[in-house]
Amino acid sequence: MRRVLPIVFILLPLLCFTCSASADTFTCLACHSAMKGNIRTEAGALINVNVDGERYAGSVHGGFNCLVCHKQFSSNPHEAVKDGNIPKNIAAIASKIAHKAKADPVALAACAECHEEAYKSLQESVHGKNVFDKKQSDGALCTDCHGSPHYITPKNTATSLVNKKNIVKTCGECHENEELAKKYGLGTHILDRYYESFHGKKYIIGHPDAPTCVNCHNAHDIKKWKDPQSPVALDNRTQTCGKCHKGATKKFVTAITHKPLGKDDPIPYWFEKMLIVLLLSVFAFIVGHVILEAISEIRDKVFKKGKGEHHE
Amino acid sequence: MNNELPKEYLRFNVVERIQHVILFTTFLLLTFTGWALKYPEITVEHQRWWITMWGGARTAGIIHRVAGITMLLDFVWHVIYLAYMLSTGKMKLRMNTTIIPLPKDVFDAIKNILYFVGLSKEKPKFGRFSYIHKFDYWAVFWGMGIIGASGFFLAFPVQVSVLFPMFTVNWIWEVISIMHSDEALLAIVFILFWHFYNEHLRYDKFPMSMTWITGRITLEQMKHEHPLEYEIEFGNKKGADK
Repeated sequence: MRRVLPIVFILLPLLCFTCSASADTFTCLACHSAMKGNIRTEAGALINVNVDGERYAGSVHGGFNCLVCHKQFSSNPHEAVKDGNIPKNIAAIASKIAHKAKADPVALAACAECHEEAYKSLQESVHGKNVFDKKQSDGALCTDCHGSPHYITPKNTATSLVNKKNIVKTCGECHENEELAKKYGLGTHILDRYYESFHGKKYIIGHPDAPTCVNCHNAHDIKKWKDPQSPVALDNRTQTCGKCHKGATKKFVTAITHKPLGKDDPIPYWFEKMLIVLLLSVFAFIVGHVILEAISEIRDKVFKKGKGEHHE
Repeated sequence: MNNELPKEYLRFNVVERIQHVILFTTFLLLTFTGWALKYPEITVEHQRWWITMWGGARTAGIIHRVAGITMLLDFVWHVIYLAYMLSTGKMKLRMNTTIIPLPKDVFDAIKNILYFVGLSKEKPKFGRFSYIHKFDYWAVFWGMGIIGASGFFLAFPVQVSVLFPMFTVNWIWEVISIMHSDEALLAIVFILFWHFYNEHLRYDKFPMSMTWITGRITLEQMKHEHPLEYEIEFGNKKGADK
């Protein structure tokens, strides 16, 4: 009895929070909102079994019955049903991404049911192909960028992972990862390089027009830059940059490279070193001069008063 | 002939004073609005607070561009003004009144520093502009060339890009942004130490020399700070002084 009481107390407020959710949802949340911690699946993946009912209700999917996505689990509890209940296209996707899903590949594939177009773009993107064709489990699918579907909020809210304020960090989750960079031959310190660029600096100080990763590289249909379809492929750059910089030319588009300033190219490198030498020598001269002069003025005031050679 | 000495000497006329006011107003605006972009990655929170004071990133950007163009126009005005004054003979080139650096300035600097450290008994005698003033003045020309030009390139990148030869385009933007940002830091440090010390902090000028408003200095001060110019202007009236 002592163990049950707290659970009842936790469940009571949930009654109010989840009143927008359907009865089935409440049935699931009765356990899943109270359960805390991780369990290990048969495949050996560690998954978090907790679903925060309050946050779920506040998300864009909060009105959904759990079974809208977790189509496998129609009978109680968690007993996989016949494939017949799962739409064919979802089942097909689920089988292709099973190696990526920790717990429920059908739920991971279920996004495609409503977000058909975005999913198609994703499937053809470098992220999607990595999962679908190359069978890698670290390629990005919906949840890697948007977070758990239980808690997705509209793009213009601060809690959205793809909000302008968060998107750079979200991309950085993988693109700052050195292991992944090594595995796929990606550039390292991409975020630092972006933050050092004209665009990144503007982004940091909160300029509303500052472009983020997705403005140039695209979102769902992101491609390798070498892919001729990529917006940042060499031949497409004048057009992509031209979205903001009207009349962008071939000579102009080289301005943004995400190269660290003065590190890769010998000319800017030595140019910057030269300027630093100039800066330090001028600095040393003027500071030294000012300090010496100030000391001599004080000396003259104190010791040479009335000797005539100096002021008064 | 009037042998009476005036109390004050007009050092800068009204045009020169207006040019100076525009120069320092735009300089301060450029410094304040540009600073947030100098080290954005280090102190994000600090920079957010600072940029908000200037009306947010967009407004600060507009202020920066308007101030930059105003400063460049002020500079152009100054150069045209100089050409006009020299060609009409209203301003004459003389050894002891010119702002052009001469070998004497190097010797003056050495002598002055020797005086500071006690190795010379007396200070060098300066003309209308000492080597300190000349350094201050020509630093602006350097800044206009380097920061002004690179700033202009950065403000109109698409239009300017057509001017660059093809072999430069892979590194020219990097060079331009380094130029703008590093030299701006140099300019700020320079003004903060050189100009502020020499025209504001010196015990006889604190909190500032009023010459920038009145354009005048007292004859006493002129005799002390610009003896060679004093010699030219009032040398023949020496008797009246005593």
